Amino acid sequence: MLKLFTVSLLTISSALAQDAGATRADWPHYGGTQFSWRYSALDQINTTNVKALTPVWMFQTGDYAENLQTTPIVEAGVMYLITARARVFALDAATGREIWNYRYPEPPRGVPGFVGNRGLAIGDGKVFFGTKDNYMVALDQKTGRLLWRVNIDDARQCGCNITAAPLVVKDKVIVGGTGGDGAHRGYITAFFTKNGRLAWRWYVIPGPGEKGNETWQGDSWRFGGGAPWLTGSFDPALNLLYWGTGNAAADFYDAERVPAGADKSKDINLYTASVVALDADTGKLRWHYQEIHDDQWDWDSAYEVLLIDREIRGHMRQALVHMNKSGITSVLDRATGELLGVFSVPEVQTWISGITEDGKLVGRVEPELGKTKTVCPTAAGAKSWNSMAYSPRTGFLYVPVNELCEDLTPNNAAPQEGQNYMNGDFPMKLAPGRTTWSHVDAWDPVTGKRAWSMPYKYVLLASMLATAGDLVFTGNPEGEFYALDAKSGNKLWSYQTGAGHRGGSASYSVNGRQYIATSTGWHSSVVGGAALTLFPDQDWRLGSTLVVFALPEPSR
Amino acid sequence: MKFLTASLLLSMPCWAQSPIKRGEDVFANSCATGYCHGVRGQSSGAPRLAGRGFNQAYIFNVVTRGIPGTGMASFATTLSRADLIAVVAYVATLNGVADPKTGSDDEAAASGPKLTGEAARGAELFKEAVRSFGRCSTCHEVGGFGISVAGPIAQVPASVAALKALATPNVKTGTMDGESMPVLVLSDRKQGTLFYDLTSAPPVQRNAQPGSVTFTDGSTWRHSSVIGAYNDAELDAILTYLREAVKP
Repeated sequence: MLKLFTVSLLTISSALAQDAGATRADWPHYGGTQFSWRYSALDQINTTNVKALTPVWMFQTGDYAENLQTTPIVEAGVMYLITARARVFALDAATGREIWNYRYPEPPRGVPGFVGNRGLAIGDGKVFFGTKDNYMVALDQKTGRLLWRVNIDDARQCGCNITAAPLVVKDKVIVGGTGGDGAHRGYITAFFTKNGRLAWRWYVIPGPGEKGNETWQGDSWRFGGGAPWLTGSFDPALNLLYWGTGNAAADFYDAERVPAGADKSKDINLYTASVVALDADTGKLRWHYQEIHDDQWDWDSAYEVLLIDREIRGHMRQALVHMNKSGITSVLDRATGELLGVFSVPEVQTWISGITEDGKLVGRVEPELGKTKTVCPTAAGAKSWNSMAYSPRTGFLYVPVNELCEDLTPNNAAPQEGQNYMNGDFPMKLAPGRTTWSHVDAWDPVTGKRAWSMPYKYVLLASMLATAGDLVFTGNPEGEFYALDAKSGNKLWSYQTGAGHRGGSASYSVNGRQYIATSTGWHSSVVGGAALTLFPDQDWRLGSTLVVFALPEPSR
Repeated sequence: MKFLTASLLLSMPCWAQSPIKRGEDVFANSCATGYCHGVRGQSSGAPRLAGRGFNQAYIFNVVTRGIPGTGMASFATTLSRADLIAVVAYVATLNGVADPKTGSDDEAAASGPKLTGEAARGAELFKEAVRSFGRCSTCHEVGGFGISVAGPIAQVPASVAALKALATPNVKTGTMDGESMPVLVLSDRKQGTLFYDLTSAPPVQRNAQPGSVTFTDGSTWRHSSVIGAYNDAELDAILTYLREAVKP
């Protein structure tokens, strides 16, 4: 009797965590919920009927400067989209009819940074987004009218800007910025949603006199990078904000930033290449876990943080899962930062010979000034910035993994504020002995074992979406958007959307009908540009169109 | 008194740049970024551009036309003519062209005054990143850096004491939703009112519904309270910089 009671309690607490992580009718956040699972509890579309899935509407944004990278946000039957040049749309989520649009003024020529935007946030009756010229902007959610905007840093000086979706937490909107590959000192900034006033700023790199500053050589902390350039997560029960921080700068050359005689099995260049937990009200650091001590490969821990509750070695744990560009994936206790497990996803890995159970890197092959070494995977990432998904039904993470290598040659160019400070040349190529460039994997974060893997001939750079219909959706550069069986990886359905995939997908429902929405359009800059040089004979089409699918309605 | 009336106007951002230096800046912002050509064309993913033996005509062709099927886009419409010529000239210097053609419209604008030691220190202090929102450039744009919240500096105060006592008649008191705040009004029209809320740094540009905000002259806001992170010696250096930078 007692035993039964214990079991049912565990089931309940587990069910509560699952409630917090899954979306339902709405898709309110960049990562689905603030637990960042990219998982919908909707199951109208399932493994049996998915073959009937058909496009029901599409929306051409008209902004073809770059692709559509956004993950659509849906609330109460209204969808919110942002394009590369920060044109914002509110659409009827059932029909695609435009309700309002807002065009952010084009920044003046000479403002540095890439054209691109990965998403917006909603909350407090407002729509929030960041811009190329480094403003945080708030619009009225009902009308699209500008309410306030505030400059975060002069983009011309810092060489930084905002491409990530902000995160709304209670009465604040919180955002990270780019600049992790530049001579810049990264930070996360929180503003009050009501009036745009500064709430707090947390610098990734501690200043003189602050704990952690001693992990930097001389003045190198001033230009040490670490920019947290993606979107974090939030656990309301712990009131903790979780964010991944970027690599230290210079990326590939550490002689100017690492103190003499530093032990590479301990923290170096804090708090770069880390997962951090911040008090959501004050921005104060509660704990940190550095994944790569002295990151010399641009492994860049800036990626998404998935908050999951799982039984690990017999105990229910409040955990988080975090992957960096190396493909090393840490499972941490999200209350304390304690390491619970670690595994690595790429099949070809040459920069280390392995990683121990307690997260120690074995056999590091350090880059050397003036020497060219082949490194696998690459700075483009075993996974790129696009997000993985997690299904509480299967317990698997769904991850697009790329198998590339780079010929890395570091240099020792001096930093100039706000300018590129990567200090390396790293042309990329297919990993030796392979014929396929990527695979979609299912990983069990508790065992660190791969459950299945589906190869793909080119690279995969779009986010994943998992649903309670036991389906996993994503798209490829050739334009195909497809559904896999979450349990087996078998491809059950696909649709040619006409342009490559480099954005996010979401699921939502209006009046009881489930929809799957995906951003389309290959892109010409950063990794997409690099991919173009790898596959010169491929015609991967640019574009900026949202495509929405549903099951056919019964004919009346 | 005489100093105060001698109004020194702010000049435009590109006030003192040679075409090669300008090309270097354009290159840093448009070509060296991310996974592209890297610092000084040393490569950062895209091909190396330095020391490749490219001549100026070839560079011009590639920059204006792009290379179809690669990540190299055409910059013919994304860069101004002057920036394009400047960046082509700069890349030519990376390829051993000692004296590249810079036949741009603003060749005459070449080589402005060099900042003296004290002014150079002031220029640094004006926008020093470690000061976050406590630096001058949070509200003032000078020499191509900073956010122009306050608009161009019309007069450089004669002394640190004058800077601290600076009168700010444009700062008013705004009242919105029952809250009073120091404001700088940008426009007050039928469609709405655009103003800066100066309650805390950084200033927030706000767009109020018609009739939802009222303004009265005067404010408790003081310029001296937002420059408190600088000591007198630092403020003096900044004033020295401003005297040089805002010369017509």
